[in-house]
Amino acid sequence: MGKQYKRSFKVYSAWNYQREIEDLNRASEQGWQLVRGGCFHSVFEKNPNVQYRYQLDYRRIDNMGRYIETFREQGWEYVNSVFNGWHYFRKLYDPTQPEQAYEIFTDRESMAEMNNRWANLALGIGIALGLFALVSLVQLIRMPNLPRLVRFLTFALESGVLLRGVGIMKNPSASRSRKGDSTLVAVFFAVILLGAAGYVLLTLARPHFNTAQSAAEITEPVADNRWAYFEVPYPDNYYLDLDMRAELPMTFSVLDADGQAVYTQTGTEFTGSNVRLRLPKGSYCFSLTCDSGFSLSCDLD
Amino acid sequence: MKKSEPMSESYYYILLCLAKGANHGYGIMQMTERLSGGDVTIGSGTMYGATGNMMKKGWIREIMSDEPGLERRRLYQLTDAGREALRAEIARLRRMLDNAEGV
Repeated sequence: MGKQYKRSFKVYSAWNYQREIEDLNRASEQGWQLVRGGCFHSVFEKNPNVQYRYQLDYRRIDNMGRYIETFREQGWEYVNSVFNGWHYFRKLYDPTQPEQAYEIFTDRESMAEMNNRWANLALGIGIALGLFALVSLVQLIRMPNLPRLVRFLTFALESGVLLRGVGIMKNPSASRSRKGDSTLVAVFFAVILLGAAGYVLLTLARPHFNTAQSAAEITEPVADNRWAYFEVPYPDNYYLDLDMRAELPMTFSVLDADGQAVYTQTGTEFTGSNVRLRLPKGSYCFSLTCDSGFSLSCDLD
Repeated sequence: MKKSEPMSESYYYILLCLAKGANHGYGIMQMTERLSGGDVTIGSGTMYGATGNMMKKGWIREIMSDEPGLERRRLYQLTDAGREALRAEIARLRRMLDNAEGV
């Protein structure tokens, strides 16, 4: 008879590991024995004839042989390790044994050491993400646009979730078995993916260009010279850097698809950096009218 | 800096068990339970962490058993530094007990 397997894609937050252990023990009671634990993907084997108790450990192992032997001596079977530092163990369940026989941390110190190993790493990452969020916030306030907003929200949420986890892990009396926390972790990973993808896609879709190639002096006058046709894929703030000089007054405009000016400047010299244009979706171009020679450089992003 | 910090119960019992001769993790665990009348148990995670930390401190070292039937079995052995640490802890505990006299 072939072996029957089942996969599970349930994710648990690190600070909720007790919940994962409880779920594994319950599955074992129902005949599903974990044979490979993972961060996103676990494998269970059907075997109703045994019952295991599971435990999780978090650490970097310097001596795998000594590690596995230390557990085996007390009846623990090593299941597997996950790349991120979690190790799965199981022990055959014997109802005559006291519950204490299924603990792997038997003093407060070693328990706190394990929780702190994770919490200190996560604290470093959480603070780094928090700093990124802060930098993104400053940039967002100075030059608001959609990609910056997405980036700020992503960093702020990831940092917030992680630092909350650090708080739970470092608090000795906090429960490591929380209902509903798996949803938060799913959101956490979804936001990493969506935030990164959203930021990249929104940034790539935006027009980025400069027309500095015509910055060389042009001597002939021009009348409504249109160039730099560009598409705005989504309504947002776009920023214009201008550096133009002429002998006689000139008119520079940004025109929409109907030829209506959404931005106009008249004068012999205009310089401006990060001039904010709030542009709806559509097609645009630049237009220049000048009765004398001029030089120009325009950047848009 | 403080000369020595109070030891955790697990560290203390591991050193105490090893003071009577080299032993493996399971032996230490059983001896600890016996000595403490079942009050102190040392789970595998605690044992691995404590022995690893004490090897880093130089209090114990790992040796391979050459006893027949136990070849290649990992044993822990107390070092001089470990014996000294244990002695200091016992002195600390004794002083605390002495201080409690007459209360």
